[in-house]
Amino acid sequence: MQDLVDSALERINSSATAADLEALRVDVLGRKGVLAQLSKDMGKLTPDERVARGKFINAAKATLESAYEALKNRFESEALATRLNSEWLDLTVPAPGVKPGALHPITQIQWEIEDLFRSLGFSVLDGPEVETEHHNFDALNIPQDHPARDMQDTFWLDAGGPLGRFLLRTHTSPVQVRGMETLQLPLRMIAPGRVFRNESVDASHEHTFYQLEGMMIDKDVSVGNLIYFMKTLLGAIFKRDVTVRLRPGYFPFVEPGFELDIRCLICGGPGCPVCKQSGWVELLPCGLVNPHVLKMSGIDPTKWNGFAFGLGLTRLVMMRYAIDDIRWLQSGDLRFLGQFA
Amino acid sequence: MKFSYNWIREFVPGLDVDPQSLERLITMKTAECDGIEVAGELLNGAVLANVLEVEKIEGQKNVVAKVDAGPYGMKTVVCGASNCRAGIITAYVPLGKKVVSGIESDGMLAAADELGINNDHGGILELTADTVLPPVDHAIEIDNKSITHRPDLWGHHGMAREVAAITGHPLRDPADLSLLPPAGAPVQIEIEDLHLCPRYSALVFDNVTVQPSPLWLQARLTAAGLNTKNNIVDLSNYLMAELAQPTHAFDRAKLAGDTIWARPAREGESIVALNDETYSLSPANLVIADASGPIAIAGVIGGKDSAISAGTTSIVFESANFNAGSVRRTSSSLKLRTDASMRFEKAQDPVNTLRALARALELLPILSPGIRLVGGLADNCAELKTPPTISLDLDWLARKLGRVLDPAEVRRILEALQFKVSDNFEVSVPTWRATKDIAMAEDLVEEVGRMIGYSSIEPQPPMVPCAPSFDPPEREFLRGIRRHYAAQGFTEVSNYSFISEEEAKRFGFAPEDHVRVLNPIAEGQELMRTSLLPGIHRNLVENAKHFEDFRLFEVGREIHLNNGEKPIERPHVVAAIYSRHDDGRAALMELKRVSALHSGDAEIRPATAMPWEHPSRAAEVILQGQVAGRLFELHPNLIDTGRAALLYLDLAKIPTQLAVKYQPVRRFPTSSFDLSVICPAREYAATVDAAIRNFAGELAEAIEFVTDYQMPDSRKSLSFRIVLGAADRTLAGPEVTAVRERIIEGLRGLHYELTV
Repeated sequence: MQDLVDSALERINSSATAADLEALRVDVLGRKGVLAQLSKDMGKLTPDERVARGKFINAAKATLESAYEALKNRFESEALATRLNSEWLDLTVPAPGVKPGALHPITQIQWEIEDLFRSLGFSVLDGPEVETEHHNFDALNIPQDHPARDMQDTFWLDAGGPLGRFLLRTHTSPVQVRGMETLQLPLRMIAPGRVFRNESVDASHEHTFYQLEGMMIDKDVSVGNLIYFMKTLLGAIFKRDVTVRLRPGYFPFVEPGFELDIRCLICGGPGCPVCKQSGWVELLPCGLVNPHVLKMSGIDPTKWNGFAFGLGLTRLVMMRYAIDDIRWLQSGDLRFLGQFA
Repeated sequence: MKFSYNWIREFVPGLDVDPQSLERLITMKTAECDGIEVAGELLNGAVLANVLEVEKIEGQKNVVAKVDAGPYGMKTVVCGASNCRAGIITAYVPLGKKVVSGIESDGMLAAADELGINNDHGGILELTADTVLPPVDHAIEIDNKSITHRPDLWGHHGMAREVAAITGHPLRDPADLSLLPPAGAPVQIEIEDLHLCPRYSALVFDNVTVQPSPLWLQARLTAAGLNTKNNIVDLSNYLMAELAQPTHAFDRAKLAGDTIWARPAREGESIVALNDETYSLSPANLVIADASGPIAIAGVIGGKDSAISAGTTSIVFESANFNAGSVRRTSSSLKLRTDASMRFEKAQDPVNTLRALARALELLPILSPGIRLVGGLADNCAELKTPPTISLDLDWLARKLGRVLDPAEVRRILEALQFKVSDNFEVSVPTWRATKDIAMAEDLVEEVGRMIGYSSIEPQPPMVPCAPSFDPPEREFLRGIRRHYAAQGFTEVSNYSFISEEEAKRFGFAPEDHVRVLNPIAEGQELMRTSLLPGIHRNLVENAKHFEDFRLFEVGREIHLNNGEKPIERPHVVAAIYSRHDDGRAALMELKRVSALHSGDAEIRPATAMPWEHPSRAAEVILQGQVAGRLFELHPNLIDTGRAALLYLDLAKIPTQLAVKYQPVRRFPTSSFDLSVICPAREYAATVDAAIRNFAGELAEAIEFVTDYQMPDSRKSLSFRIVLGAADRTLAGPEVTAVRERIIEGLRGLHYELTV
């Protein structure tokens, strides 16, 4: 009997494959297998013999089953290992499918600044690209025949009907007027957008570019407030502390009007080619809103006043990325635009 | 405008800052400087020199001159000027030795332009022994835009007034009105409209000698960027550059009669101007006229016929004031901007006409020795406006600036700028600031602010109400659209709002349907775009030269005529997929997928192709029942290689927010079955889908397209999965079968074949 068991064990242990082993399982542990043979003549045994046989069978069963299980586990883990090994994958192959596109750099900087202003409680307004002469000039204290109109070479439009009424906005300032006409006082607003100047295009001049106009109307707004605000704003835009200075500048819609310069971010002051050795870079025009402008928009200048400023988005993009030629921005050329993804 | 440092210092004798520092002070306190340059740099060390002998160099244009260079001693100089000859007195510049034409040359003999005296390079200067060479000067260039509002700053004396106020030095006035004679000129002045010509003053001189001006005067004009011509014309320019008052001299012998009119031009009149151009005039143009017709375009340019010439012996020297708007309109309608018109359009001070004549009386005897004043002064003048007085509340001023102010300092600043300030700060504006510049207290904020220096103001955070900002919802929507397309692999482009007539025609748009630019900057930009497609088309063609596959999009505005009213702007998005090798189908399907992501399930309805669309691949995009745009492949005529699929949507027609309607989750299971419908090759899936939907009835939970299959006989098979369900029960087998049979029967009734 022991021989029988030993030989069965020998056969199990010598199985070469999982399939061999599975065939043996039936042969050895199955209902008609070796173990079953051992209990075949149980009925003929004495009670003592039966007890002894029972013990023997249980021991044999345990031995055979554990040998079977061990081998089965080995085959399974070998099979798994083989499969896993065969499933080697090169994850360095670039992923298929489309790559993300890029937002236009103007869009990106415009959003960045919009978000900054929104966090400061400013409303963001849009205005039309085609403006009336009134909104673009007269309501901003630039009447007809005023030489200040020369500061902004204008595209005039024939939109049917009498000529001279419609133009392409030369600045985003008309949206100030629209803001004053529609928003509740006190107000804080910005107006980003595309503007047009009738000038020849070269590496640093475009007839189509982007500005962002800002305005705050409240009570007793001072030049000190304006300086604080500009410093805060520019610090957030350039992500560092910025030194600003104001000097006189003439813009009919503000009084007093300023040119705001920042300490050159490249050289920090001693002078370099970027700041033309002056240590300062002219950045934006600003000023306290001219009372005539308030009056023309129906705001009482004895009760309210405020500041306004204009920021060149195109200029900021050029500065941030050190873009060599302004014409790339409107080129539609993916060799350029694709870099801003 | 260019300012001579020496000229300014003539009026601010105490000036003790160098030109560079002065430039910075002016920039910070008054107006923007564009730069500074040395004028007549070679005058540094230049002296008079006698040319003693001149020797030719064989085979050369140059000559060798031996000169007596005064303090420098005897020098040998190689000179290329043809007028270099023994016996003349010229200017010697000690530039050091160098070999020229094989001969050692020590220094140079100078022409007038080399010394910055005038633009003459015809030969070396020929001077007299008593000539004084002018000193080296510096020209500070001021940005004209920054003095648009300051008529007074268009002359050196006005800038000197600023410099005096900035530096605290006294200011000298070059005009001595006591020199003016009493009334009684031999010419009559007749002004037809005192609004257009508020003042016209003149003096008459005879015994005039027309000759070159002294070198110092020429050098001043040259430093200020003006040309030199002769003493009379130069004087006129000199007064303009000094006092900002344009003047003009007529040759009296060439005037018809003794009356000068300032009047609107008569219909049909014309004038040959000093620039040799002929201008046709209209009553909108103010002219100066004698009995025979116009002799000058008022405030713009003089006439050629009455101009000063070498033979002139008698002159009418006028100094007038003209309405700013009128001069500007005339100047822009004639497309003629002159130094005079640029000044008059800034609204000059009528008081200034007499100041210029007084100064002329002082200078003319120097420039034209022996000149004689004939009779007295002619001066016709509208009633002069009293300059305004402004009450300045110092507390208010301090609040505006955000800084504490010392009343004494405010007074000092205003008085230095020649405002009159009363004890209780009633501020009288000087006449030269009162024409357009200063009229209200805010204007004084600027005067005080710039002089105390804005850097003396501490930044102060504003106190503002805590309130949510107003944000139009469509802005967030537009951002979402841009973000969406970028995330789906499209790169954003930005095209001009202009298109050309040719581009419009290429797309079949009638040019007359466009808003037209009256003054386009370049050819090809004469129309406002009524579609973003021409721009995107250009982008596709250009980028196809560099890439085999790409995606791009633009968000921009169409601009449309509006029956003569303000044009309408319609924001649109256009997205395009270009591929050099694909058959185009995948790209169109991809655009359909991408658009569905932001607009939900749009209905794509086959449509007749537009001229720029592939005739068999064009559809309308229907959103919420209305046409929102088009999905198409670009017509192959418009692109040489490859294909482009485009989606063009009117952003106003895309729902800005897709409303979510919650439905309770179904409790009972659904049943489904598939059907394959055999139909002609060009049958639309949507047609079959609609038919199935129609027959399926209300138990249909969903009709899903599964696949299509091209059959060998050129027909195709479209497979759909029909999902049935009810809210209150599990459907029984017979119910499902009944629906299935209804659909099959219905489709067969429509002559579809079904493989069941």
